[in-house]
Amino acid sequence: MPMMTGEQYRQSLLDGRKCYIDGELIKDPFEHPLLKAAATSVANTYDRFYDPSPDAFHPMYTIPRSREEMDARVKAMGQSDITAGTTAACMALVEVAPELGKLKPEYRERVYEFFEWCKTNDVRCSEAITDAKGHRKKRPAQQDDPDAYVRVVSRERDGIVLRGAKLHITGAPLVHEQVVLPTKSMKPGEEDYAVACSVPTNAEGLKIVNTTNAPRGDDLRHFPISMRTNMPEGLLIFEDVFVPNERVFLDGEVSHAASLAHALGLWERSNAVAYSGSSADRLVGLAALLAEMNGAADRTDIRDLLSEMAIFATMCRAGWEAAMANAVTNEDGTLSPASLYISASKFYNAELHGKMVDILHDIAGTLLVEAPTMADYDSDEIGADIKEHLAGDSGWSAQDRLKLLHYVRDLTADTYGGWIAVTESLAGGGQYAQRLVTLRHFDLNAAKELARKAVGLEAG
Amino acid sequence: MRPAEEYRESLRDGRQVWLEGRRIPDVTSDPLLRKSVEWVASTYARYEGLANPMFAIPTTQDELREQVAFLLSADRTAATTAGCMALTTVGGDAIKSYARRVAEADLRVAAAVDDTAKPVQVRGHKDGVVVNGGKQHVIGAAVVHDLLVLAGDVAVAVPVSSPGVRVLAHTPAPRPEDDRSFPYSRSRTISEAIVVFDEVVVSGDRVFQDATEYADTLQVWERARAVADQADRAELIMGLAQTISEMNGIETVSHVRDKLSAIAVYAKMCRAGWESALANATFDRGMVRPDDSFLYATKAYGGHLYSEMTHYLHDVAGGAVITAPTIADLDNPEIGDALRKYMRTMEGVSGEHRVRIFHLIRDLFADTYGGWDKVTSQVVGGGMHHQRMATLDSFDLEPVKAKARAAAGIDA
Repeated sequence: MPMMTGEQYRQSLLDGRKCYIDGELIKDPFEHPLLKAAATSVANTYDRFYDPSPDAFHPMYTIPRSREEMDARVKAMGQSDITAGTTAACMALVEVAPELGKLKPEYRERVYEFFEWCKTNDVRCSEAITDAKGHRKKRPAQQDDPDAYVRVVSRERDGIVLRGAKLHITGAPLVHEQVVLPTKSMKPGEEDYAVACSVPTNAEGLKIVNTTNAPRGDDLRHFPISMRTNMPEGLLIFEDVFVPNERVFLDGEVSHAASLAHALGLWERSNAVAYSGSSADRLVGLAALLAEMNGAADRTDIRDLLSEMAIFATMCRAGWEAAMANAVTNEDGTLSPASLYISASKFYNAELHGKMVDILHDIAGTLLVEAPTMADYDSDEIGADIKEHLAGDSGWSAQDRLKLLHYVRDLTADTYGGWIAVTESLAGGGQYAQRLVTLRHFDLNAAKELARKAVGLEAG
Repeated sequence: MRPAEEYRESLRDGRQVWLEGRRIPDVTSDPLLRKSVEWVASTYARYEGLANPMFAIPTTQDELREQVAFLLSADRTAATTAGCMALTTVGGDAIKSYARRVAEADLRVAAAVDDTAKPVQVRGHKDGVVVNGGKQHVIGAAVVHDLLVLAGDVAVAVPVSSPGVRVLAHTPAPRPEDDRSFPYSRSRTISEAIVVFDEVVVSGDRVFQDATEYADTLQVWERARAVADQADRAELIMGLAQTISEMNGIETVSHVRDKLSAIAVYAKMCRAGWESALANATFDRGMVRPDDSFLYATKAYGGHLYSEMTHYLHDVAGGAVITAPTIADLDNPEIGDALRKYMRTMEGVSGEHRVRIFHLIRDLFADTYGGWDKVTSQVVGGGMHHQRMATLDSFDLEPVKAKARAAAGIDA
């Protein structure tokens, strides 16, 4: 099957799916004011990568086997919407297919077939991992509500029946398949919770309740980023959803519950780290421009702050470079960035992100969150006032000043900025998880040996 | 004191207000600016027929404490109006007479201090003065009666409805028609503005000379309120972090307790800073004022760690901060019960209550209002660097130098 165009993608979403936002059923995301931009961003990705040849496919389906392929993939994903990223992460399931095959050969075959089906049909997938979880300290089977984690409520000859909920599912109402994976490792007695499968978004019994970081209003020009790059987050409710056997990748084997989420988690974290250098560079650039705009670029205290940001940006880039320099090649030839550097970098980036944003805000001043809108600027009645009263130092025009202020506010001090702040630290596992993974991969013995030598102790 | 409805009516005075490119003919009926109006109106309603504390000058430490407690419970224009009253302690007969008229008519006043790229200039006129130029970051400009404009050594009380005054408003009020998922900002936002003065004629009885030192006193209550509010906000972060941790069942997990303890230290230090500013308050020219060196230090401390604290709060709360369903979702019979079921975590924790906690965390710390509040709090007074410098400048260095010399055994 050839790739889909944006228009074909649009039509593919009109499949009877039950998606809600602000308490209302969504008829067509392309017609909904809060979803239109997100849906269009996905459609634009389809159009950007469209190739009519029958064997063509999006680069997200290329599993990188070398640094060059990884760089090409990072570049392609950078030109794509977020659902391409979630789909690409789901494709990492093929990495664990050989392991699953040891449990049951059909699991391996189903994963490969699913991969090929997605690639051939040019579909988008979500990563449906996080469960409702109930009481966080209790195991799934100990909860007073057995549905706190998604589970198999019945097994039939030709498939399984799912019940439960998955939270924070990025892009859920705009993709074709919800790839359901266990949120964590499972123990004997928790077999019903050790389930991995893929569910079409329009499956009978699946309802998706969404929130969004999209801006609201008729004229959104003062939201220069989020007016285009917003994305809904879905809460998936599985009300006894039937999943045919060919889409079931794990059912009951608790030993492998965590390995699937781990495979995706590494890709998700890697994705975050791959772009952290350029994101941090952008923050430095924004801060430098704000300083120039306010005529403060030469102040010693401002240069101190800029140097702090420059170190942050350089370290973010160094984290990715180190992860790739120490990348490992798996049995099947897949190249994986080094987990140690990915986790350490992800933690470092998220931990200091707020501090970097503080610096931006400090340099920007209160006008950051009080700047007139572009509609104000265009007004026949008050446009001239704005041009006169907002002209900045260093030759900055009021229009350019507004553009810069709106960009920084949208990125760091409004709805989208709030979403970034929360997801940066929580996506791909929270900060504590990054610490644990870092410590687990850190070569403590080598470090202790170094210390022993330095102190003059005998080798341990 | 006048009733709330009279206040609303008083705003229909032909004032020229714009918001997002639209001329707003009546600020009381605009869906966004109305939220500011209603917040101010709520303070009017509370004191209808009573003496409003914002017109009082505290002369004892207890009165100071009461004054700030009142300001924290009132809308934001109370602090600027009270600041106008405080000017009577440093100004002459003209400002005293003006302040009396403000109190008698139960008016609200905004402080117009920060210039735009075209600073305000005042020149003489047969009826008083003519004001030209612009002010920015004018809190409540669209919903108060007067703007107290500072221009060098002159201050001018300009009625907002004066011909030539143009209010270019902005508001962090929530946009959705159904704003129930914005539990704080739906009822407690104040609009701000850039105010343009274009040949505005102001009568002589509203012009105050020798106003060089007005800025400090005019903003005394905003300064104090900001630090007291910071202590309240820090305790709210603590309360929310602890509550959501308990609701999630993780309050005894060691790394969560680490974060909770960090927030606890922060909350206590913010409170300690404010209490010290109160305990060291000084009586100056008929008014008790909180100690500025503690105010500056506490503001600098609170701002420096604020993002770290909200980061911890996000961390213990989890992703539902930004993905919790709305109240309208809960109201929908097709999905409401399922949402309550899955947002619930254990016996005694209802799904809806947990959703409401998430909404509050998002509204205050991860959405439009939260961004506005964080930035305006952090950069007030010129930003963190200036707050540190103000702390250093107000620090009594001689005694500490003497202490250092004594410790080192160096003669005085």
